[in-house]
Amino acid sequence: MRVAVLGASGFIGSRLVEMFHLEGIAEVRPIARRVSSLAGPSRFRLDCRIADAFDREALAAAFADCEIVVHAVAGAPSVILGTIAPVYEAAEKAGVRRLIYLSTASVHGQNPASGTTESSGLSVRQAIPYNNARVRAEGRLGRLRARGTVELVVLRPGIVFGPRSSWVSSFADSLIEGNAHLVDRGRGICNSLYVDNLIEAIRVAMSAPGADGEAFLLGDREQITWADLYRPIAAALGFDLESIGDAVSIPPDPVARGLLKRARRSPVARRLAAVLPKRARHALKSATSSLEDPRAELSSWTRPTPPRPIATLEMELLAKCRYKLPFDKATRVLGYEPLVSFDLACRRTVAWLRFAGYPVTDSSR
Amino acid sequence: MTVPSLPTRVALVGCGAVAELSYAPALRVLSAEGLLEVGALVDPNPESSRRLETAFPEARVHRDANALSGGTVDLAIVASPPRFHAEQTIRLLRQGISVLCEKPMAATSIEAESMIAASVAAKRTLAVGLVRRFLPAAQTIRAFLAQGVLGDLQDFHCTEGGRFRWPTRSADYFQRGASNGGVLADIGTHLLDLIVWWLGEPTDVRYEDDAMGGVELNCRAELRFPEGFQGTVRLSRDCDLPSRCFIRGTKGWLLWSIGEPEHLTLHFEGTAWVVSGRLHELPAVSSQPGAGRRVANFEQSFVEQLRNVVASVRGEEQPFVGGQEALAAVRLVEHCYRHRTLIPMGWLNEREEARAETLSREGTAR
Repeated sequence: MRVAVLGASGFIGSRLVEMFHLEGIAEVRPIARRVSSLAGPSRFRLDCRIADAFDREALAAAFADCEIVVHAVAGAPSVILGTIAPVYEAAEKAGVRRLIYLSTASVHGQNPASGTTESSGLSVRQAIPYNNARVRAEGRLGRLRARGTVELVVLRPGIVFGPRSSWVSSFADSLIEGNAHLVDRGRGICNSLYVDNLIEAIRVAMSAPGADGEAFLLGDREQITWADLYRPIAAALGFDLESIGDAVSIPPDPVARGLLKRARRSPVARRLAAVLPKRARHALKSATSSLEDPRAELSSWTRPTPPRPIATLEMELLAKCRYKLPFDKATRVLGYEPLVSFDLACRRTVAWLRFAGYPVTDSSR
Repeated sequence: MTVPSLPTRVALVGCGAVAELSYAPALRVLSAEGLLEVGALVDPNPESSRRLETAFPEARVHRDANALSGGTVDLAIVASPPRFHAEQTIRLLRQGISVLCEKPMAATSIEAESMIAASVAAKRTLAVGLVRRFLPAAQTIRAFLAQGVLGDLQDFHCTEGGRFRWPTRSADYFQRGASNGGVLADIGTHLLDLIVWWLGEPTDVRYEDDAMGGVELNCRAELRFPEGFQGTVRLSRDCDLPSRCFIRGTKGWLLWSIGEPEHLTLHFEGTAWVVSGRLHELPAVSSQPGAGRRVANFEQSFVEQLRNVVASVRGEEQPFVGGQEALAAVRLVEHCYRHRTLIPMGWLNEREEARAETLSREGTAR
């Protein structure tokens, strides 16, 4: 079976190419947007192609003779939405049998309600534009499938981690740089999915009957917290997770965040503050004090200390999660089983950290 | 040889990304000084040469370097894909044209030695584009080490890497057979050349990479030196490695961030501080101690490389990095590829590891 991988140089795409090729799962054809992106797949002797995911003609040529296309292109909402029709139509033109689209569990929000399943309603009015783009992309694909010939399987992975994952590398970087932080002590449920388990889901989705037109939530078997995910990374680098502080929390509403951040410094606010009674000025100051850069309060008599990080909106929402998303539909219809345990996934991730030049301590071998 | 009053006549052979992004701006600087003129552009792909025609409107465009002759060209810059370097350089030298060959000089030491022999026979300059030797920080490190500033050397660790973003237009770059190799042949040539220039030739080299039928994305080398110290080189087109050289001796250590040719960081034993400093030229008036002009940045160092080669062609200077100088790095890269093993990738499962080993061995045998 020949499988075209769109987004082959990305985190998931590169592991997909590696695993499919080394395991002999399929004859894999990496497709990248530019020549420089072929550096990764070129470790192997493969039939790599260049095609922009917006370019129907180039895509159709790249998909030629492929039975399956895996759409693993990430990017801004414009990329997520703009590549949907070109990819589907090119797949149709090339005679592809099935398109596997890597969406995200975040279509249900970063903090999904208890009881959420694939059949729960999706909103395009979420606080994070990425979520809305994925919801719209799934909708567009569904409409294309309704009138097209290429089968469609939508996968909704949770927090995909593993070698080359930004969840891993950015936390490791922040530890080394001294600005690592948690949100709510890392107590929130992390709907983790080790990348190899996602690849396994893609493998079974290529041929599972009854999957056409369906969406599937995917996760690891274990229920873990963010602290569980971060602890092995911290330990590998010689840090104790318990000694890492929480980030400053500010309201999750993005509009409110932006307004509050700007409020203290805007000319209007300054003019307003000048005429406010003293008590009102103090109230305004205390309401927004967590947004201030601590460095602004320093004098030459004290040595500067790093400012306390402010949690991103995404992390704020993720940290509130108290629900493990189910993957029983994927098990039932696709035959998906997470083959790699969370413990093994963490050991392999730490192995990658060592490979990637992070100062992994010998005790974590 | 008398100093010619006319500008040195230059041909640019190969009009790809390195020609467009590095050589063309440097050539324009020296052309504006009247030191040289670009008289010919050579590339089999008209689209590539067209990009440079606007920069050098007076240049004649050729599809093949055979069209050049020593009567009309003094210096050819060979910036074609590496697999053409040896053949084109030897032919140009035989045509009476001096050559600045972009790194890597050649795929094998036999090729490199043939290039050097052709240069000697033709009595023409053969210089190699190892621009990092022109960087002020690299030259300062060499001087520090030669003077024993760090004491007896203990170890060194050089890392360089990040997602590959060089705007190459040719997929040949990543094809085994078409390219000389992957990250080792590319940035590794620069780094190994500097190490040999600073520290001498190693006596023992162990090398591993992740090529599994293609060209390597990651590699690691361990080098041992006759004085007893050793060091590592880790390169990647994949992982965001800090691009730096760390060298430790009995008296202290130095750290150079490779992307910062104007900075060095030093620590001396017995102190609790490090010195993180900008390099300056000596003061214009020697009786007034202090820091003179800021030293050349990367781009300006590239111009200095070209200025040196032109001066060599004119008989005014020796080439700073001649063919013989560059030979050690070619030998080292060749040795690494010949004795390569698979780099451990601890995230692969057992089946993948077994297959990766097989593909890696087959790649070495080819």
